[in-house]
Amino acid sequence: MISAPDTSGRSLAVRLTNVTKTFGQHTAVNDLSLAVPNGSVYGFIGPNGSGKTTTIRMILHIFHPDRGEIEVLGERSTRAANDRIGYLPEERGLYKKMTVRRVLAYYATLKGMNHRDSREAIGHWLEKMGLAKWANHKVEALSKGMAQKIQFIAAVIAKPQLLILDEPFSGLDPVNLEVLRTAILEERQRGTTVIFSTHDMTMAEQMCDFVFMIYKGRKVLDGTLAAIQSSYGVDTVRLRVDGGGEAVRGLDGVQLIRDLGQTQEFRCAGDPQELLKALAARTRVHLFEVAKPSLHDIFIRIAAPAPEEVKHE
Amino acid sequence: MNKIWRVAVTEYLNTVRTKAFIIGVLALPVLICLSIGLQYLGQKNKDIRDQRFAVVDRSGALSPVIAAKAAERNEKFIVQRGPDGSTAQRAPKFIPELFEATGATGTNAEVILSERVRRKELTGFVVINTNAIAVDGSAEGDLAWFTETQSNNELPDWLERTINEEIRRLRFDQAGVDQALVRKLSRNVTVKRLGLSKVDATTGEVVKAKEANRFATFGVPVGCMFLLYMMVMSAVPALLNTVLEEKMQKISEVLLSAVTPFQLMLGKLVGATMVSFTLSALYLAGIGGLLWKLGVLNLVPPALVPWFVLFQLLSLLMFGSISLAIGAACSEIRDAQNFMFPLMMVVMLPYFVFLPIMQSPGSAFARWFSLFPPATPSLMLLRIAIPPGPPWWEIALGVVLTTLCTIACVWAGAKIFRIGILAQGQAPSFGRLFGWILSK
Repeated sequence: MISAPDTSGRSLAVRLTNVTKTFGQHTAVNDLSLAVPNGSVYGFIGPNGSGKTTTIRMILHIFHPDRGEIEVLGERSTRAANDRIGYLPEERGLYKKMTVRRVLAYYATLKGMNHRDSREAIGHWLEKMGLAKWANHKVEALSKGMAQKIQFIAAVIAKPQLLILDEPFSGLDPVNLEVLRTAILEERQRGTTVIFSTHDMTMAEQMCDFVFMIYKGRKVLDGTLAAIQSSYGVDTVRLRVDGGGEAVRGLDGVQLIRDLGQTQEFRCAGDPQELLKALAARTRVHLFEVAKPSLHDIFIRIAAPAPEEVKHE
Repeated sequence: MNKIWRVAVTEYLNTVRTKAFIIGVLALPVLICLSIGLQYLGQKNKDIRDQRFAVVDRSGALSPVIAAKAAERNEKFIVQRGPDGSTAQRAPKFIPELFEATGATGTNAEVILSERVRRKELTGFVVINTNAIAVDGSAEGDLAWFTETQSNNELPDWLERTINEEIRRLRFDQAGVDQALVRKLSRNVTVKRLGLSKVDATTGEVVKAKEANRFATFGVPVGCMFLLYMMVMSAVPALLNTVLEEKMQKISEVLLSAVTPFQLMLGKLVGATMVSFTLSALYLAGIGGLLWKLGVLNLVPPALVPWFVLFQLLSLLMFGSISLAIGAACSEIRDAQNFMFPLMMVVMLPYFVFLPIMQSPGSAFARWFSLFPPATPSLMLLRIAIPPGPPWWEIALGVVLTTLCTIACVWAGAKIFRIGILAQGQAPSFGRLFGWILSK
């Protein structure tokens, strides 16, 4: 499903029109068009090296496209909007020898905040993230989770209209993950448009209004989760049976997608009722659910398929 | 402009607030004080134990004089009197003993005495051969000093001086020449080094030439040049390290989402320049204070200060932009060091040639070398500091050429910085760097 979502009537935070970026012989992003509505949470997914970070860097005007046009917060192909963008890169970048307060003040003032506002905002965010007592400690004294929260504060401190988060949850424990997720959703409620890239499909399903997938530099998915799932049909069966995946082996028209240990996901080419009958004859069935494919399943179908299964525009 | 300033201020504060900076500021004066202090301590704690030595006098005429001169020295010349009248010995006493080299001991004198030196009974021994006094005697082997501690020069030097004086006296006596007359006839005349005389325009009187001062003609130019070198070296390698650190720790990407690569690079350059000027202000103030205390501050022309500041600025921008470009292009310290080596060679180039330029500051060699832009800041400053200085057109041409070169370096550095700062992986070749400079 690669047709762009219907954004008519909604103002756009980001619009990419036929954007191409090459590095030497390698085409990182190929003829990409994308429209991110204001106030939405837009998920960028795709395998490593597929072009997500390059796309993000082009939105930030760190890279310039070879072809095509990029419009961000109403500014066309200039960095004029950059002070209104918050950015959390995939690999965290904080000065280890600076104190938390100074590093945040530096990033805030680079985004155009004055000292007084930045001082207030730093106090507010450190309090909110439970890091107030670390304000005057050096960054090198922080744990990984704390440093990640500081990096997030650096991205949101200047009250951006567009927040770009590259893998914001990687390496976080569940408690810190929840803190960060709540903070992101609060930013969205404030009216901020959020673009975030992730490898966590469950998180993308839960948080995103729209999902965009890029694969080998080309757009392969773009739309709401429901629309994307609908385009793949209702061909997924979730099972919990005695004997696990082995009990299903040899049944016609059934292909194992994921073995989660307690449950398994299958793609069923035929009638699910026939499959249920066949299973009941073989083993005891505890759970049988016919569902749309998960985002994870769709991702796998695209990124690790037989060549003929890859959907291109 | 505001963002460049924010980057510059942060870079500046990040540097001057570190212990390394404070240590760096104090390092030079501390090292100088330490060196003077240790030398003073070494002098004060000099080994003043008696130095005994044997004299094998085969000439038969010199040992009494050696004994007499040693006694005179021990009594008069090695004792220092303090202001309160107290006395302190400042050098070891030399205590000679005559070794009768006759019969078996005569032939084995060197072996016997060497053994005594090894047993630490003697510091050494001197052997004066029979023909030492003869006018046509061979120079080699007339006088020999034997010891284990060859690094000790004080005693053999004193012996050589004392014995030669006596030999000379004996030879003059034998020739019937009046020694006092010889001393008068062979008196040295010394060259008095002066500047130039001139006629005072207002009074019409002749102003006599002033005597040249070694500090003004040598100390000030060399001091200026080396201070400039220190200021450049305090900033240029540090720039490489900061940008490399930001790149390795992925800070650059965060910064580049807020500022352009050029703003980032210029901010860093300005910050490093501010750090370097802070250092030079501290050092110049300290050195100025010291010279004032010593009463020689008037020997430093005040006009040197603005030249120093201008050349410091040009050097920092020129070498700093290249250093930043190298830091941005590399992802590992080892790669960066490979690129920095040629740059450091260029920075040090003037220090390989400054001595001949000091000898003839007006020569063609000095002129053309000081017009080579990377060397201009150091060498033109050196030439300006040596009176009367180069012609004005050479200074003007040097400044113009260096400014153009600096602009070119900042421009090329910015082109490399823009691409290199986000490039990962293997360090680029020189060819690739040139490609980046020429890219749109």
